[in-house]
Amino acid sequence: MILDGFDVAIIGAGLSGLTAAAKAAEEGKKVLVVAKGAGVVELSSGCIDLWGYCLDRPHQVCRRPLDEIASLVAVNPDHPYAKVWDVLEESLDFFLRVCSENDCPYLEKRGGNWLLPTALGTVRPTYLAPATMAVESLELAKGILVVGFRELKDFYPEVLAANLKRNLELNPGCRLSAAMVSVGGGELTPNALANRLEQPEVLTGVISQVKPLLSPGYLALFPPVLGERRNARVAGDLAEGLECPAYEVANIPPALPGQRLYRTLLHHLKNLGVEVIIGSQVTGADISGRRCLGITAAGATGTLKISARTFVLATGSFLGGGLEAGPGRVYEPVFNLPVTAARGEWSEKDFLCLGGHPFSRFGIAVNERLQPLDGRGRVLVENLMVTGASLAGCDYTVEKCGNGVAVATGYKAGKLAAGEVVR
Amino acid sequence: MSCADELMLDSCIKCSICVAHCPVARVSDQFAGPKQNGPDLERFRLEGPDAVSSQAVYCTNCKNCDVACPSGVSVSAMISRAKGELVARQGAALRDRLMARTELLGRANRISPALVNWCTKSKPLRRLGEKIFGISAEMTLPRYAEKTFYDLYALKNQFFKENLFGAKHAAVVYFPGCYVIYNRPEAGLALMDVLVRNGVRVLVDRLDCCGLPLISNGFLTEARKCAQKNIQQLEGYFVRGYQVITSCPSCKLVLKREYKELFGLGSAGLSGDQVVDIFEYLQTMVRRGKLDRGFNPLPMRVGYHQPCHLKAGGYGVPSKELMGLIPGLRVEDLDSGCCGLSGNYGFKREKYANSMAIGREVFRTVKEMGIKHVVTECGICQLQINHGTGAAVYHPVELLAKAYGYCGYSRAQNSGIQSRRCENVFENGK
Amino acid sequence: MVWMDMNTDSVQVVVIGGGVTGTGILRDLAMRGIPAVLVEQGGLANGTSSRFHGLLHSGARYAVVDREAARECLKENRILQRIAPNWVEPTGGIFVQLPGDDPDYAGRWVAACKEVGIIPEEIDVRELTKSNPALNSSITRAFKVPDGTVDGYQVIWGNVNSARRYGARVLTYSRVTAIHQSNGSVAGVELTSTLTGEKKLIECQMVINAAGPWAKEVAAMAGVEVNVARDKGTLITFNHRLTNQVLNRLRPPGDGDIFVPHGTVTIFGTTSAYVGEPDHTRPEFREVLDLVKIGSEVIPDLEKYRLIRAFAGVRPLYQSGTAACGRSLSRYFTILDHQQLDGLAGFISIVGGKFTTFRLMAEKTVDLVARRLGVNAPCRTAWELLADPVPESLLRRGRKIFGSPGAQKAAKRLGDGFAGLVRQAEEDPQKRRVICECELVSLGEIEHAALSGDCFTLGDVRRKTRMGMGTCQGAFCGCRALGMLNNYPGFAGNYRMHLADYLQERWKGIRPVLWGHQLREAQLSLGVYCALLCLERMK
Repeated sequence: MILDGFDVAIIGAGLSGLTAAAKAAEEGKKVLVVAKGAGVVELSSGCIDLWGYCLDRPHQVCRRPLDEIASLVAVNPDHPYAKVWDVLEESLDFFLRVCSENDCPYLEKRGGNWLLPTALGTVRPTYLAPATMAVESLELAKGILVVGFRELKDFYPEVLAANLKRNLELNPGCRLSAAMVSVGGGELTPNALANRLEQPEVLTGVISQVKPLLSPGYLALFPPVLGERRNARVAGDLAEGLECPAYEVANIPPALPGQRLYRTLLHHLKNLGVEVIIGSQVTGADISGRRCLGITAAGATGTLKISARTFVLATGSFLGGGLEAGPGRVYEPVFNLPVTAARGEWSEKDFLCLGGHPFSRFGIAVNERLQPLDGRGRVLVENLMVTGASLAGCDYTVEKCGNGVAVATGYKAGKLAAGEVVR
Repeated sequence: MSCADELMLDSCIKCSICVAHCPVARVSDQFAGPKQNGPDLERFRLEGPDAVSSQAVYCTNCKNCDVACPSGVSVSAMISRAKGELVARQGAALRDRLMARTELLGRANRISPALVNWCTKSKPLRRLGEKIFGISAEMTLPRYAEKTFYDLYALKNQFFKENLFGAKHAAVVYFPGCYVIYNRPEAGLALMDVLVRNGVRVLVDRLDCCGLPLISNGFLTEARKCAQKNIQQLEGYFVRGYQVITSCPSCKLVLKREYKELFGLGSAGLSGDQVVDIFEYLQTMVRRGKLDRGFNPLPMRVGYHQPCHLKAGGYGVPSKELMGLIPGLRVEDLDSGCCGLSGNYGFKREKYANSMAIGREVFRTVKEMGIKHVVTECGICQLQINHGTGAAVYHPVELLAKAYGYCGYSRAQNSGIQSRRCENVFENGK
Repeated sequence: MVWMDMNTDSVQVVVIGGGVTGTGILRDLAMRGIPAVLVEQGGLANGTSSRFHGLLHSGARYAVVDREAARECLKENRILQRIAPNWVEPTGGIFVQLPGDDPDYAGRWVAACKEVGIIPEEIDVRELTKSNPALNSSITRAFKVPDGTVDGYQVIWGNVNSARRYGARVLTYSRVTAIHQSNGSVAGVELTSTLTGEKKLIECQMVINAAGPWAKEVAAMAGVEVNVARDKGTLITFNHRLTNQVLNRLRPPGDGDIFVPHGTVTIFGTTSAYVGEPDHTRPEFREVLDLVKIGSEVIPDLEKYRLIRAFAGVRPLYQSGTAACGRSLSRYFTILDHQQLDGLAGFISIVGGKFTTFRLMAEKTVDLVARRLGVNAPCRTAWELLADPVPESLLRRGRKIFGSPGAQKAAKRLGDGFAGLVRQAEEDPQKRRVICECELVSLGEIEHAALSGDCFTLGDVRRKTRMGMGTCQGAFCGCRALGMLNNYPGFAGNYRMHLADYLQERWKGIRPVLWGHQLREAQLSLGVYCALLCLERMK
């Protein structure tokens, strides 16, 4: 099928691709998103991590992430943030507005990092958190009750409770306890549990089991299953019923906050009239000189010939399929763009090394207009922009910047495409 | 297992996105999800093919797992094969054996559709049916048309034949699929109207069931035979230069994908662009400036539901552009996921509740948006949405035909005459 | 195993080394009524015995070069099939000849096989490549031999459980730090716990050094010399079963000529390289590439298949005189009676050998021990089953709960313990939960392992159950397993340590195969543990 007449065609349905689509569409552009599968943003925490730790003290959570990034871009011009520094704050405001308009509100912590508990009992720094996760002043709580569900095999409240004390300075008198509740038995996937919790009678049952365990000044932590839909009210209803704050914590996938973020953005795009095709893999591009004329995508039973004025490559890193690797060689499969990769070893000996692994930083080098560059800094394809985890130079696993880079680069690509500054 | 299958198995990184997108796993604890029943157990099946969980029968074969998979794994094919193994080992209920043969059912019902339709509406009989056969008494069973699409086609053949002389464009064969043949021939006739109006030569030949109900119920040996037969017949058209047009996204998916994936059967014609969806075909005509744009205004608001098997096709929603050409027509996307019926899944007693729970989002959206008319390409989705909401349901090609001024099939049938232009069809459309 | 309150213990024989040889000896000693304790510096099955391809030799591989070894392989192969039916899979093996291979070798090989009692059956090459489309279609000749596969971990546990039934004891995470002597005879061993640092003394009359690649160090503590060449063999694991039979190259034994289907995976190897240290088990990227290259001669598409990890074992090869190394050295075992050799009474070393013949090695060693101790009881290890086969009725019950492969695998691993697992899971549905989804390991089975008394780390649980040995290499099950540690008193220490050690151990094997989908998997795993859970900064 021929899909033509688009201003912007975006390859990839992750956070950066969907953000780019939203921005360009809001500026009145005709936008198409085509992706091989669901965006791996669904596997993320659902929070927008911006920058986690101090540049010079990697164990110290940084207080003002934006200031830290300002220092970063001054010394590291190859970091993706250096390309989008001009729109960083603007992109975050945009993100906050889009989410709130679509009933999936995110909260910021007055320019600082949230320190949010995880299922392991660690605390993770993040900049924007969904309201369901944004635990306000954990360290002031008189008591913390961690609630697990018997039906869920992925969450162990004792682990969280036992480790939280070691990882965060709590109120000296704070009582930490763990409890297991049930929603009727069986084994449920996180989605099935979340779906079930949206039923009022089920939620009432949970409240009646948890409430006796709470005292004034307590807060309750739950696995990330409080409602399946993007605009679910489960967390709010729980808090109301329990008469104490109730939050979700980050956990291994599948987890709902990342999925809700994905759905929120898709919903927004649908409202903006953006064409979104998932399940169709872009297999090649028609390049003439330094311009991309069109791309071809293959679905299970049909092929798409897509043409647009501007293209955005938002296919991610290895995980998302944006980069592929054979033994000792790495490549970008759609445009065959050169990939910046380490010469030596791709990985460190220590799995949990604080400096991250070299392969995490592999990616496409771009200029400030996010156009892909060759080894000598020349633009390879003028009407192509590269965003998100496809970019070289950052390691989201240890820097805690993945979704932040995605939002900022996606936003900038959308804005550039809308402003038609890409010739 | 072929080398390609093994490579596919190797692509799975266990990320579990498929589990999050599985309509069954999100409403039920009877199905651990596509990951466990697909790629996880597939590694064990290489050692012993009996590595199949009895849960596999709870898969609806909706293929949302395939669409969501960021690694390109054909999860659903693995589960379908597993289901086949399970049925081959354990056998299947009489009900499943009957339901899998939609064609046979369709033909049997020909004896007296009126009687059948009366029976399917009779509560006491349905309760009996639930007890004995396990067919849910709650679910609305499809109504059998008084005359099949083929009967009606023969009746109307005169009309189409006349048009053939003026045909300007390449000839096509229409693959109507069971739902159009036996349950909703009006959609097929609407398609004929639209193509003939545009000067396309349409050949209507007797084409059998694509085999999907057999696949979904685990009868792979029979499905393979069905595939071989269909491929042989279709090849006959391909060599003569015909394109094959489908109106049912599931039929298309089976012809183009499942034959190859499940049975290693295929042909150049099937994998190329010789099998196309009616709207892909029409869209190409639009691009070439060949489509008759003489649409009458249809001042109406319809909700559009995207069938899972269209989504699984990965070529977008071609009907959207065409519906966009009809003046006055407002199409609003329901965007609410799977309807839950999935072939005959939702007719089964033990699965009816799952089916309705899956469809709840769609029903809720239809009600919240105040939608009275729903269009969707899939006959099964039409049935379920009508069952769950009471909204009138159409195939989008019916809207096109109506906008061209052809009245609905039911009128034509009642008056026993050929299709005629008529006005104000939508006042009749409930 | 719980440390005893007293610091001194006494027993007749101490066996050093928790591999298949040591545990085989322990079992034989116990069955002959000789009180014994086995001590192991790490977990059981942590060394060479689990770092091989899992091939149960028919002897065909050695028929040309070492007839005696071949003969014994064949005999022991049959014995193991009899005593350990749960853990031996008689898959059969195929020897294939490729166009470049010496065509005359086949004739010599067939003759040699026949001489030792193996009758290779020549099979139709077209049939073979038709039923195994992955194989090179230009294979010139192919022969079938009675090779099989063996689950090294389970045989070791089987030895231990059998020995325990006869009163023997096992101390893991107990490193021998001194061997005491008095009047020219061993008097006892000093142990240091590798978990707590606590020391302990065991008085004994005899010490058997079955420490494999560490045999030299152990002997040195007794003041005697045992010259062991350490030959590292690297192997690679493919994500799925590429073949249902063992595949061998029909040529003189060399690198990269054995494919072994093992449950859900295929193990392919090996290499051979002299190393200095007994624990030098790090596989190298280069070795992996070399293996894949050689392997593609048999399976042309080999490089397209996903590797999930690489691992290496150190073969202890005994050198009596001048230095020699590698494959030309005999794999045949040697029992060193240090009373005769060095005048140290009560000290015996057993070196060399191969997994398939472990029982025979144990028998010969214990024969010597028994002579020294004046015990007359005969060896019965060839006749008594290591574990009873699981009855079909129980398997049926198991299938209802765990599904078909889940029940089968658990039954094989647990043997006698399976009945308890089924009973528990029938009562408590929570126990049916699949914690390791790649290898289908249930919560019940993990608990069974964790509470067995032998498990102190997640790695121990892994070796007992296969948890974490599948596609995702611990990315998901690690987290879930951690969640359950609370309930198990054996798991001292903090969560971070347990999880980090578990993941680090997996990482060691993933690094040399870090490309393709395994690189994606690694990124997912890092995403989960670092980006999502901040494990790298956990306290």
